[in-house]
Amino acid sequence: MKRNRSMVVAFALPGTLLFVLTMVYPIVRTVFMSFFAIQEITDSVDKWKFNGIGNYISLMKNSLYQASWINLAKIFVIGGVITLGVSLLLAVILKNGVRGRGFFQAAIYLPNVISAVAMATMWIQYIFNPSYGFMTKFFSALHLDSLAQIQWLGGDYKFWALLISYCFGMIGHFMLIWISGIERIGIDYYEAAAIDGANKVKQFFYITLPLLKGIFRTNIIMWSISVSGFFIWSKLFSPISADTSTVVPMVYMYDKLFGAENVDEIRRDAGIAAAVGVMLCLFIVFIFTVVNRLIKDDDLEF
Amino acid sequence: MWKKNKEKSVNPFNLKKELALAPGYLVLMAWVGFTAVILIWVIAASLSTTGDIFRGTIFEFSSGLHFENYSRVWVASNVSVYFMNSLLYAVVSCALLILICAPYSYVLQRFKFPGSGAIKTMLAATTGVPVIMVIIPLYMIIARAGLLRNEISNRIVLIALFVATKIPYTTIFLMAYFENISRSYEEAAAIDGCHPIKAFWKIVFPMAQGGLITVTIFNFVNVWNEYFLSLLFVNSEKLRPVALGLFSMINGMQYSGDWCGLFAAVIIVFLPTFILYVALSKYIVGGLTGGVKG
Repeated sequence: MKRNRSMVVAFALPGTLLFVLTMVYPIVRTVFMSFFAIQEITDSVDKWKFNGIGNYISLMKNSLYQASWINLAKIFVIGGVITLGVSLLLAVILKNGVRGRGFFQAAIYLPNVISAVAMATMWIQYIFNPSYGFMTKFFSALHLDSLAQIQWLGGDYKFWALLISYCFGMIGHFMLIWISGIERIGIDYYEAAAIDGANKVKQFFYITLPLLKGIFRTNIIMWSISVSGFFIWSKLFSPISADTSTVVPMVYMYDKLFGAENVDEIRRDAGIAAAVGVMLCLFIVFIFTVVNRLIKDDDLEF
Repeated sequence: MWKKNKEKSVNPFNLKKELALAPGYLVLMAWVGFTAVILIWVIAASLSTTGDIFRGTIFEFSSGLHFENYSRVWVASNVSVYFMNSLLYAVVSCALLILICAPYSYVLQRFKFPGSGAIKTMLAATTGVPVIMVIIPLYMIIARAGLLRNEISNRIVLIALFVATKIPYTTIFLMAYFENISRSYEEAAAIDGCHPIKAFWKIVFPMAQGGLITVTIFNFVNVWNEYFLSLLFVNSEKLRPVALGLFSMINGMQYSGDWCGLFAAVIIVFLPTFILYVALSKYIVGGLTGGVKG
């Protein structure tokens, strides 16, 4: 057993050290920093000024920050309904015995392995382009001129363009997770239901959906984690400066950390940036708690 | 890759059944068709001219196929530099992650030692913590130590960050694989007098191959496409990875006006992970659907 002990030490030490130094310690320090006013990110600790919950209060009062949370809430709720709903639909279709399932599955998952910058470039420079873009060409070919004239990248439509393109990429990932859940439901449930005369729609609502409760819970929590890290898509849709229609907390935090080129309103403060991070964490914890309360495990064995 | 597919095609063709599935086929075809349209259009645009893109005549190739778009952005727009940087970061990070996390994950799964329970809980919890919770203090320490002023130390910092931020995910992921490997192999090795460290690398590690490949693909794709950490920690144009390089190209587009070049760069960035995906998609799909607990 002595030899095992030497192995445990040799194997566990590097990983634990790295993990504590680069994850645990910084997380604790970020929480600590969120209560201080820190003008420059590189300021030494003696220059920090204790600010209590002042950072949080000034954040709440800031209109751009409010806008960033409204956008995040919209992405979480509307984007969540679209992403989880469409991915479940695709999963059910794929599990209903269509031919070429492997191919469809792989093709729908594909956007997840592509760089978000490359994906967003395709959407912005091609799909939504007002002169030669897909949307314009597609709707004018159908003679739906009012739809063809929509300026996707300007004003009111920019947020929706952002949301659609983001969800399109995420759907494949959630679809695979739904599929793995459906695969664990025994075929005999469906056979028994079919004998009793339940059609596919009824089977879906009375067998598939209730038995997917656990996966549903996991997916909502995973969606909240993905959404809280929302950054690059917003940056690509508004590359120059944060824009109220597309700003999200991560973008606001980045500007607070390094300053924005042309937003006077944003004064650099690393303490406030840390507070944004803490609030994003609290958002995930909140969703986690609510989802675990609402969707209870009811010991269904299958 | 098409194993499931083959099982299905053994089923005899049944017109009534296929007709019932028609709406499903329609949705899938529309979805995949849309994806294909985007890709085909971008590939065609990358081989045409900026003039053709704006006239909407990219599929005519009236002046031939412009492969020089690729060589132009590869050399003149520094895409080759970004490409090599990303390759370096991804390969080194993936190798380090396996070297650190495979043994780590193994002892966490197999043995109880003081703090092992707490470590497991914290690892699982940090997979859900947004990366901005760690980067502010890390940036503070790294910038104050002057590590971003020198090219080599800046590269080391980047790789260290890519590794550090993926340790929780990689370790947790691999634990599920080690769980499925019977202990009897190590017990037999111990009876034969083999040191447990040697037994791990010689016996258990190769048996976990499937999990190691899967997690390496995920890590490679993640590091290749990484944007946020590099945006913060890359201090020189020479060190930019592809995502950052592409982003700076897009911002420069309004001055250079080289749209066909931009699409060529998009394809160059897209290809490595796409090829990896097509070649190894069974590991990706299997890895995602195998490890999730409801």
